Amino acid sequence: MYSLRPLFWLLLAVAAVQASVLSLQSPRFTILSSSAEQLRSEPLSVTQKPAPLTLGASDALKLTFQVLDKDEGKGVQPHQTFLRFYDEISGEEGIQPVRVTSGGKAKFELNMARPPASIPPTSAGIPLKVELIIGSFVHSPLKVELFELFLPESHPAPQHPDEASFHPLPPIHHTFRPEQKLPPRIISAVSAVLVLAPWVVLVGLWGHIRPSVPYLLSPSILPFIVTLGAFETLLVWYWVDLKLGQVLLYGGILSVFAALAGRQALATKGDLRVGRK
Amino acid sequence: MFVRWALLLVLGLVSWATAKSSTGDSVLVILEPNLDKDNFSIFFDGLREKGYDLTFRSPKDTHPPVLEHEHAQFSHVILFAPETKIFASDITPQSLVTLLSKNTNLLIALSPKQTPLTSLAPEFSLVLPPPGTPLISHFPERDTPATVIPVNVSSSSPILTQGLAPVWFSGIPFSLQNNPLLVPILNAADKGGEGLWAGSQLGLVTGFHALGGPRVTWVGGVDIFSDEYIQKEVAKGVESGNEQFIADVAAWTFQESLALRIDSVSHRRLNETEPRETYTTNDQLVFSTHISKYNPETAAWEPYSGIDDLQLEFTMLDPHIRTSLPPVPGTPGEYSVTFRAPDRHGVFKFVINHKRKGWTHLQSSTVVPVVPPRHDEYPRFLSAAWPYYVGAISTSLGFFLFSALWLAGDDRESKKTKGSKTE
Repeated sequence: MYSLRPLFWLLLAVAAVQASVLSLQSPRFTILSSSAEQLRSEPLSVTQKPAPLTLGASDALKLTFQVLDKDEGKGVQPHQTFLRFYDEISGEEGIQPVRVTSGGKAKFELNMARPPASIPPTSAGIPLKVELIIGSFVHSPLKVELFELFLPESHPAPQHPDEASFHPLPPIHHTFRPEQKLPPRIISAVSAVLVLAPWVVLVGLWGHIRPSVPYLLSPSILPFIVTLGAFETLLVWYWVDLKLGQVLLYGGILSVFAALAGRQALATKGDLRVGRK
Repeated sequence: MFVRWALLLVLGLVSWATAKSSTGDSVLVILEPNLDKDNFSIFFDGLREKGYDLTFRSPKDTHPPVLEHEHAQFSHVILFAPETKIFASDITPQSLVTLLSKNTNLLIALSPKQTPLTSLAPEFSLVLPPPGTPLISHFPERDTPATVIPVNVSSSSPILTQGLAPVWFSGIPFSLQNNPLLVPILNAADKGGEGLWAGSQLGLVTGFHALGGPRVTWVGGVDIFSDEYIQKEVAKGVESGNEQFIADVAAWTFQESLALRIDSVSHRRLNETEPRETYTTNDQLVFSTHISKYNPETAAWEPYSGIDDLQLEFTMLDPHIRTSLPPVPGTPGEYSVTFRAPDRHGVFKFVINHKRKGWTHLQSSTVVPVVPPRHDEYPRFLSAAWPYYVGAISTSLGFFLFSALWLAGDDRESKKTKGSKTE
């Protein structure tokens, strides 16, 4: 690049003097089918775009034009001649250089049976904008929008396997096991009431017999009854709240009282029986 | 007394130094002898003003070395040696990669000539054009040579200031391959190129965010940093955007801008305050994290609530749960989410893996065991068991009543001949 600098300055001087203008002569496109049958052939106008072109999977597009220096009317071979295929929606772009002869004649062929690598990936129904870009050291640059081109859908551009982790990933929800299903509470309530049925019989029979309890409040019997009640209460309390260690502790203390009171009560009962007899 | 006031004044002035990097201030500039330091005075003075210490050296010198005894000697390295064919023994492509693994940031300038750096660029998924093919564009029409190109700056890169004027560029383009770690900063205009090396998919200034944190920026030509390009006008009366552009590129490369870090991570059960050693399946877990962003103006890490797509994964071999981790309104920098632990027991990890182009990668993983419920953590009283409760209680009650009756009652032998009492 450093060695070409003097040449550039020379060309710059030339260009600065007179930036001449390029023009296109007789641009024309032809669409051919795979059997070389001409499907569509029209001249291109620089000022008005033709109807969008459509290429099938085996068709070919031929484009011809000539580049002229407008003032001199002679053909020129510019430094850069590109066709730019641009997908506006996805932003994908492809640049294809076009060979221009020294007389300015250019010919470009796009065969869909063997598409060049410079065509960008296409999606169905979205056209590619085709532009002609000409750059020259001695002329003003030229950009012409040629036409819109519908190509068959291509494979999407390949993605790096890690690309997905650079974007938010889809959320994952865990499916939990369904809640344990219990039978309806009415049934449980009715069954609970049914369990109480024998009490009806018991209370009925007691009512019939009418047992008497003369010694209920006697000081030798009552403590034992109370400790028995205390044991039952301890058991219910254990069921609801206590831990094993605690219940064994309380039960141990209570069993001492129960033993003493029980001895007393059963001895009294025994005496009563002997006394009666 | 006076000395104390003078010292305070000096300290006050020193604290005015702004925009230091989050990873260190020492910069080694490897400048090839062809290039004159004064041609880049605006760029280097800008770095010095921000607080960086610049050390200059030529590519063939061995002192000061970039790596000594496996330790990186500088936090950042600028390689403005685009045409040097032979480097000193401590700047080989392999040693530059070693530098990256020591978290040193690199800013590398290339040129159309082939140098050892040309073989390093493909490791970063950049494809360089053949030697001797600089970028040539005849658009837009202008008085400068076709190799000096004003490039429009796209407004979509988070690295660059918005609304920058076009930037003068001269050098080579490179083709970006499919690597998500590449961060495009400046792409060629769509109208320039050479043969197939043309189009807006080519990069001119491209960043690369290596795994582990360090950043590398590849620039297609060193002239973009020169005073001449900074002072050249893009259009009548419109200054070029070069000065701000290179300041932004240097700020990103040296970990000043877009630098994030996770300060802390915590987990707990919903109605508790302290984390537990193990959690139970179906627990309501609360996970929160604090994230800060580096503010170069105050040279401090400040809480940052601007990440709106942070995600949390609760993983055991595969993510079982992936939810978004939204910022907590009212507490800057805190992100929190409540979710239900899965049915499965096992060893799970809370994983944050947030990678976005240009930003520091946020990665964190906290291991937590999840155990099935203990024997006393199941529901205790079930409605289906009511009949059994009633039955057991009525048995106990029946025993008590019978014992009381028997103890308290008397034989009615004197009254009736019947012996036993009630059942």
